[in-house]
This record gives sequence, structure tokens and C-alpha cells, in this order.
Amino acid sequence: MKSFASFHPIVIFVYYVAVIILTMFMMHPFILGLSLFGSLVLFALMNPIRVFWRDICFYALFFLLIAITNPIFVHKGETILFFLNDNPVTLEAIIYGFAVATMLVAVIFWSKSYNDIITSDKFIYLFGKIVPKLSLIISIALRFIPLFKEQIKKVNQTQKTLGLYTSKSISDRVLSGIRLFNSLITWALENSIQQADAMKAQGYGLKGRTNFSLFYWYVRDIIMLTFILLIFGSIMFLYVKDSNHFTYYPIITKIPLSIQNICQFVLILILMILPSLIEVKEIIQWKYLKSKM
Amino acid sequence: MIAFIVLFIAIIINGTKIQSVEEYYLTHIDDITEDSETVFIQINASTILDNWDRLDPVLRSEKYVPHDGMILERTEYVLRPNETVFDILQRTVRYNQIHMEYQGANENIYNSVYIQGINHLYEFSVGPSSGWMYAVNGEFPDYGVSKYVLEDGDEIELLYTCDLGRDVRNEFIEKRKESN
Repeated sequence: MKSFASFHPIVIFVYYVAVIILTMFMMHPFILGLSLFGSLVLFALMNPIRVFWRDICFYALFFLLIAITNPIFVHKGETILFFLNDNPVTLEAIIYGFAVATMLVAVIFWSKSYNDIITSDKFIYLFGKIVPKLSLIISIALRFIPLFKEQIKKVNQTQKTLGLYTSKSISDRVLSGIRLFNSLITWALENSIQQADAMKAQGYGLKGRTNFSLFYWYVRDIIMLTFILLIFGSIMFLYVKDSNHFTYYPIITKIPLSIQNICQFVLILILMILPSLIEVKEIIQWKYLKSKM
Repeated sequence: MIAFIVLFIAIIINGTKIQSVEEYYLTHIDDITEDSETVFIQINASTILDNWDRLDPVLRSEKYVPHDGMILERTEYVLRPNETVFDILQRTVRYNQIHMEYQGANENIYNSVYIQGINHLYEFSVGPSSGWMYAVNGEFPDYGVSKYVLEDGDEIELLYTCDLGRDVRNEFIEKRKESN
């Protein structure tokens, strides 16, 4: 199901950098809206539908919270809707709040799919040569949380099976929690020592040690990389060339229906839904092959 | 639990006052009679005209900076007892429907209101050393607008500076340099 992940790590990484730069630094409504759309579609394709809806519900609340916060504290803007405690609540501030919320939620969803696609071996492959220690620490730290969660589950289940702390009283549950945490800390310390020993035994960081990785450059990687860079470059070019920059305060800039704007819209749309398109193509191909069997 | 939530909502509803735009601008201005105390107020942003190229491009319009820089011509208003510059200013902008944003007296360490923007011209709109200042009878007080209690016949000026007050003849910084 993750055909976008089968590309070379550099291609995937460049794609994510391009998308996140565009989303975070350009407050243009096209970019924000399409970025959110693209990240949601990709997330929906890569996760079961139940997980998707659960996350959507949570982040919808998050989205509204941020969107409402802005007009309460910012009173810039020309179009006053009403006065709240003698302070104007403006249309521009509300729209800006929605834009910021869109940006945050879009970046969160991009990071979610990034986590699934750039696994720690790819991360080490990308940065192992340039910043060996830092990349190792980052990948260990990121791995630590799921590992910890897994261990909590295991210890908890074992204790329950042994019949310890199974009653429903609060004091019992607190005690079991403390005991569980205690054993987890010991385990984490011990585990880190073991891991360090194991890595030392394997000669990590010594001169002349080589790595094996299964990542090769294929023609499609090169095509993909140039395509991504081309689209990113042209979006940036159009953005910089655009004479009337988009601003939210004091009045929202109108976006006229011009050829340049349509070009911009289409280019951004292509960039943002690129991984989803690849996924969809793969699904269709799979269905087709299955139907021929 | 439900009672607590209801109480919380009641406090929030009680603490908020929602007014429509017309209601807000419908302020009462006292008529000037023979024995009423009065002050004069003007809002002046003419220094921006000399620094037009540094002004934020979105604000380069007659709507925000009038051609002579005067957002409010010198006008006379009735002074009620113990009123500060801020009270007069707020009543004036409300009466004339001029946009103003300020930081409340309890939101900063000076315990005085800080004017952030008038007529969409904000602090830092014309480079890093720009913002609103005020003078009463030509003197620049070194405390905030809501601390200056006015007297009969005072002349209030709200001036937009693009150079930390030097271009609006405030010698405060120079005086401080000399005394050091």
C-alpha cells in the first residue's frame, strides 16, 4: 500500500522538505488549503478508515480551537463584525485564524505520513554519513517512545496474569502504576546499556566500517526528483514574481481569476497530491492485475 | 460536574459584552456650553508622508494615510472631571468611527494603556522605530496615555513617529543622552 515509500529516500526527503517549506512559510490560501487536502488524502490512503476518522475528529476540535483564538486576541482588520468587550472582532482576524489552523493541521498530517514513510533505516541512510552521531541519537530517541509503550503493555499484562493489583480500587491502581513505572525505568536503563554494548561489539563508529543498504537509484527516481524540483521551483518563481503579495491585514487581498493564478493553483495541486496519485495508481494496478488472475 | 460547567458558562456569558458596530459607535458626546471645560485633540500621521517608501506596501493608500497626514483635524471636545488623555482619545475615535487598537492598562508592566495602532497604522508599520506618541501642550510626557489627567484648555496631539520621536520634535532621547 505504500508505493511512495519505494522511491529512493533522497527523493522522498526532498519532497517532504519542499512541501513543508511551502506550507510553513507561505501564508497563501491556495498553498494552505491544497496542502491540507493533500496531506489528508495521503493519510487516508495509508491508514485504515477507522484511524482516519478518529484523527479527523480530534484535529477538527484542535483546528477550531486555534481558529477561534486568533480573533479573540487580534483586532486588526477593516471589516468589523461586532464588538466584544469594546474590542472589535474582525473578519480578517477570523480568516487569518483559519489560515493558521489550516497550516498547523496540514503540517501535523504531513509529519504523520512522514513518520510512516521515512523509517529509521532510511533516516540513518540519509544522514548517517553527514551527521553520524546526531542521526543515530535522533533515530534512537524516536524509537524510544513506541518501544516504551510496547514494554508498558507487556509488563502490565504479565502483572495482571500473575494476579497482582487486579482489583478496581484507586489506591491499588495507583500502586500498580508506580510499580510498573519503576520496572520500566530500570528496564530502559538496562536496555540502553545493552544497546550501547551491542553497538560497540559490532564496531559502530570505527574507521573502515561499511554499511549495507538496499537503496539504489533507478531512472524513475531521477525523473521523480527532477519533476518535484521543477514544480517547486516554478511555484516559488510564480510566488516571488507575483506583484501583489497576498496579505490578510488590514484588508484581505483579492485573488483575481487570471492565468497566472490558475497556473499557480494547478502547480500546487499537482505537488500536494503527488504521493496520493502514486498510491492510487498502485491500487488501480493491483486491482487490475488481480482481476486478470 | 454539570453544575460546575453551567457556572463556568454563566461566568463567561456574564463577562462578555457583545455589541453590534452601530451600537458601539453610538457614543454620547457632550455639547459644548459656556461653562464646560474643553480640550483640543488632533491625530497626525504626516511624518509618514516623508517616509513613504518605508511604509508597508499594503498601507500605501489614501484610506490609511490622508494626503495631508491628518487623520483627525484639531477639534474641541468637552472634558469631564478627572479624565485622562486615553478617555478623551477613545471617545473621539469612537465618535469619529476611526479604528484604534490598544493594549489595556492591566496587560503591560507600565500599568498604562499603550496605543498599538490608529486607523490601521500600527507600531512598526514604517520600519522598526515607528509608532504612536502623544504630546500635551507641546510637551512629551514620559508616561502612558491613561495616566495623564487633563486640565481645561489642554492641547493633545497624537503623533506618528518614524524615528523614535526625533521627527516629531521630541528631544527626550537627546536630553537623556546629554544627562548621561
